Amino acid sequence: MNYEIVCGIETHIELATKTKIFCGCTTEFGGEPNTHCCPVCTGQPGTLPILNQKVVEYAIKAGLALNCKINTKSHMDRKNYVYPDLPKAYQISQYDEPLCEKGYIELDSGKRIGITRIHIEEDAGKLVHENGYTYIDYNRGGVPLIEIVSEPDISSAEEAREYAEKLQLTMRYIGISDCKMQEGSMRCDVNLSLRKPGDPNFGVRTEIKNINSLSFIQKAVIAEAERQADILDAGGTVVQQTMRYDEATNSVTPMRDKENSDDYRYFPDPDILRFCIDEAKVEEIRASLPELPFAKLRRYVNDLGLPEATAKQISRYRKVAEFFEGALAEGASVKNAANLIVGTIFSNMDTEEEKELFAVRISAAQFAALVKLADEKKINIGVAQSTLQKMLESGKPVEEFIKPEDLVGISDEVLENLCREAIEANPRAVDDVRNGKDKAINVMFGYIMKKTGGKADIRKAEALLRKLIGP
Amino acid sequence: MAISKAEIEKLAKLAKLSFSDEELERFTAEFDEIIAFADTINQSIEGGTEQIRSVGARMVSFDDLRPDEVMPSLPNEKILSNVEGYNGFFSVERSKK
Repeated sequence: MNYEIVCGIETHIELATKTKIFCGCTTEFGGEPNTHCCPVCTGQPGTLPILNQKVVEYAIKAGLALNCKINTKSHMDRKNYVYPDLPKAYQISQYDEPLCEKGYIELDSGKRIGITRIHIEEDAGKLVHENGYTYIDYNRGGVPLIEIVSEPDISSAEEAREYAEKLQLTMRYIGISDCKMQEGSMRCDVNLSLRKPGDPNFGVRTEIKNINSLSFIQKAVIAEAERQADILDAGGTVVQQTMRYDEATNSVTPMRDKENSDDYRYFPDPDILRFCIDEAKVEEIRASLPELPFAKLRRYVNDLGLPEATAKQISRYRKVAEFFEGALAEGASVKNAANLIVGTIFSNMDTEEEKELFAVRISAAQFAALVKLADEKKINIGVAQSTLQKMLESGKPVEEFIKPEDLVGISDEVLENLCREAIEANPRAVDDVRNGKDKAINVMFGYIMKKTGGKADIRKAEALLRKLIGP
Repeated sequence: MAISKAEIEKLAKLAKLSFSDEELERFTAEFDEIIAFADTINQSIEGGTEQIRSVGARMVSFDDLRPDEVMPSLPNEKILSNVEGYNGFFSVERSKK
């Protein structure tokens, strides 16, 4: 039997603020246990939480970048549950008045995945279970999170992955989180049910908690859809429960019974005043957003004429795009700048993280100075690549490696003499070319390049060689 | 009755509290009185408590929120001074969820 996947994703993202959501403790990762704590974030009686302005600003940024409507009036609620990771026995979150609502992410296919809501909340502490005891570290307790809830618009494993990837890219671009899934600063919960094609009703759904990589999202959706299909095919019913994805066995297994949302007994937190944000403030935040990666990608392809693959590689990382655009502003050509970034600079960067950080030792202007030499054909691409590599290694400008006298280039006269020499030195290759083995001309190129240290204009040399060799 | 004994039982369970049947009966009656009392506030305000929330209550503006500036945290021994700590951690008997 064929089924249709109905899937929605809830994503928790840790915000890159300096302090926690309700107190001035640092959000720095790690540290000795319970050293980034104060009476507020350990839930001592009589303390008052005060909302961090940056958290509101970042959440609004996220909302605007995901095409959401911003609620200019909002408040915090208490979500009650008893577990030692929460010192107060409730988490301060948002229930019926989230900061952002009704947005979307557009996939490459043009399909839009709706964003139901984005709300702000505090993270819980970390637990270590050992020797019959639970040890608690509240350093992470109170670190600000946004929860982004999608509509159940996702209908395949590929779409689930693309949604999460685009979300991650956008959040990194606007600078509100590093979204490192391995380190837990971005965590996804996948809700999934199956139904027969055309059926307007949803089937029973399960929730797969805390998936920590993009490829696991894709695998978990496939594994869970197969598991549910097997149950339905055998005439059984899917049980609504919380599941865990195990990457080692690529399987999905039940975790615990899900509490119903009314069990959380949400109510407005009486310690925190309702807050309002002026329309003007929202517009100010909107104006501060950078051009988003997908808009950039379209612009690179449509306006700059870059091939899609190259445009994707550059627009994907904000710092790379800034470097590229900085070089263009200095007069570098689109094609050479893009190719040198993707071909030479990226070959020094093995990981996504390195490209994300893009810690190069030269400035965009220094890079542009080199690209322009190639643009003006004063050096060929091979020399540009090797010089760029030396610049990257030393952090020194192009003048350190290419002297003005090197740039005089090879005069037409000298080049013609060299071509004659090359022909004389390689009679067999010349015969081959005359007999139609066109590739043999490379032998002459090699000779000329060797003699000139790679500085000859290869196209000019080719024209000359063909003229001299004759038909 | 504004609240049933079953609801009180459910609340007690969620709060991880256990009561005898007698206590549950008594709490149900008491809760009912408390809710009835709270309800008189609702009746005395035109538009009910929703009205208080939307117009009456003070709101803070974005500019009044706390600036994102790091303040010193408390030393670990101070944080753990009222509890039995272990190697800098809070410790409780193993919890099951």
